[in-house]
Amino acid sequence: MTMILVTSGVVLVLTCAAFVGYELLTYRRSAVQQLATLGEIIAAESTGAVAFEDQRNATEILGALKAERQIVAACLYDRQGKIFSRYPAEARDDAFPSTPQPDGYRFADGHLTGFTPVVQAKGSGRFGTLYLNSDMGAMYERLRLYGGIAAGVVLFTSLVAYLLSRTLQRQISQPILSLADTAKAVSDRHDYGVRASKHGEDELGVLTDAFNHMLAQIQEQNDVLEKRVRERTAELEAANNELEAFCSSAAHDLRTPLRTITGFADVLLDPRAKLPPGAAERYIRMIRDGSGQMSELITDLLSFSRLGRQELSRQMVDLDQLCREVFQDLASERGGRKVELRLHPLPPAEGDLALLRVVFVNLLSNAHKYTRPRDPAVIEIGVAVCAPGEAPVYFVRDNGVGFDMADAEKLFGVFQRLHHAHEFEGTGVGLATVRRIIDRHGGRIWAEAAPGVGATFFFTLA
Amino acid sequence: MALLTWSAGERRGSAGRWGGAWLAGLTVLGALAIGAPPPPEASTEYQLKAAFLFKVAQFVAWPSRAFREAESPFVIGVLGDDPFGPYLDELVQGERIEGRPLVVQRYQRVEDIVACHLLFISRSEAPTLDKDLALLKGRSVLTVGDTDTFTQQGGMVRFPVEAGKIRLKISIANVEADKASELVVSSKVRTPAIVVPPGKD
Repeated sequence: MTMILVTSGVVLVLTCAAFVGYELLTYRRSAVQQLATLGEIIAAESTGAVAFEDQRNATEILGALKAERQIVAACLYDRQGKIFSRYPAEARDDAFPSTPQPDGYRFADGHLTGFTPVVQAKGSGRFGTLYLNSDMGAMYERLRLYGGIAAGVVLFTSLVAYLLSRTLQRQISQPILSLADTAKAVSDRHDYGVRASKHGEDELGVLTDAFNHMLAQIQEQNDVLEKRVRERTAELEAANNELEAFCSSAAHDLRTPLRTITGFADVLLDPRAKLPPGAAERYIRMIRDGSGQMSELITDLLSFSRLGRQELSRQMVDLDQLCREVFQDLASERGGRKVELRLHPLPPAEGDLALLRVVFVNLLSNAHKYTRPRDPAVIEIGVAVCAPGEAPVYFVRDNGVGFDMADAEKLFGVFQRLHHAHEFEGTGVGLATVRRIIDRHGGRIWAEAAPGVGATFFFTLA
Repeated sequence: MALLTWSAGERRGSAGRWGGAWLAGLTVLGALAIGAPPPPEASTEYQLKAAFLFKVAQFVAWPSRAFREAESPFVIGVLGDDPFGPYLDELVQGERIEGRPLVVQRYQRVEDIVACHLLFISRSEAPTLDKDLALLKGRSVLTVGDTDTFTQQGGMVRFPVEAGKIRLKISIANVEADKASELVVSSKVRTPAIVVPPGKD
């Protein structure tokens, strides 16, 4: 602002100086012109008086100069250069040059003085000389007035410019300062909820809008990120809890057969024990069964944990054929029991063949297991009726013991078992493995059941 | 101008003495006829009067018909005894009035005058002055006299000596009375100090 003020001030001062200078020049020129004209008139008027030494008339003519207030002295020299008549009449000789000087007018000491020849136009002779002395005080007075006016104009316009620029600057700087305050508040307090206040619809208003929009976006992204962090944290916590539960379950489930093994081994090793005949062989068989159970459990755990790391190798899988193969492989499970498989045609699906096999092995194995009290046991495999364009929903239904729907959520957890081991054997890892495979294929699995009626497992693969 | 500081009394005395001298001179001039001796030097008074003659010529306007041609000279005539001698001729030598060269003519009789614009009538003509002036009427001749009663008798201009100074006196009334002459006196010399009121000297 200072720079603009100084610039306009200098321009003003220079302009005023130029005007005053021009005025001075013009005024001096016109003063000379006017005095020369006046001189010519007075000289012409006084030719007769000078020619014939009519002193009274000459004094009268010069006396007419009273009307010209700036003329402070005038005199007429005769042909010999002696003062012949003077104005004012009572002026002393030293008020005039003692002899006439070259014709013409010049400035000296704030006075304009000069000499005009007194001649009669008709003749060729010169009768005398007129001397005029004009006080330029009026001119300098006028110049002083001009200077004063110029100074006043400069001061006044500078003041107006200052007030104007201060007001205008406030209009520009206020929004910018408020933007800066907002930016500082945002960076200091990390509060993306604050907004800059808008002062108008001009460019700064647009800038403020853009700034606020940017803040809104940052806030939005912040919220999204925070939400994501919360979700991830929850997931991690859940995973952690699952892992802890898994660990304690695994430890618990491993300890059960181990306790059996240790207990029977202790009895066998006790030298004081009096074992009935055949007992030792029975004990050793139980130890071997416990070891087998542990081995099975460890194998299941390993395959379950491997599922998390293993890459899927997707391909088209003929599910009909896969089901039939699995059913045949499970012949040992049936052990001569009559189990009916009702296989509805299944459309081929895309997926990892080995993993899908694990899915059907687990589901069919469960179906065999829990239909044991039924005769005949029926296992139905098919596709649920679904809307066109939607992923097919496969189901595996049995007429086994079923379960209470209140426990449906626990079904797919690791080591979650709804039945006692002495009722139905199992590690509690199977359905957890199935769910993990379905998850990795991007599908969903759920179950519907009624105790004593049977259970149906539904799943999708996409 | 120091020479003009005489008292009126002295001047009158001197004029009388000079008047006698001029008469004597004229007698000599008449006796010698042809081959006259050079005219005597003009006195300071007549030198100033000669200058006045030339100056007066510049403040009076003549009708153009007073000059035969555009380049015709301006003629200053001296009627009767010439008090100026060669001084007048020297004075107007090379001077011009409205571009016209000046010529000095000397006349013994008013009848000799053919073309003259400004005529100085010498004191010697005093006896025939009325007749002379009557003859000059209407001929655009500005008459300048050397006698005290010149303007009373109808003359136009005279140069009296007052307080030791030569003065210009113009009888505007006499100039304007001679309407046919169409002489116009410049307003610059129509001041109370110069203009002679009608009927006065």
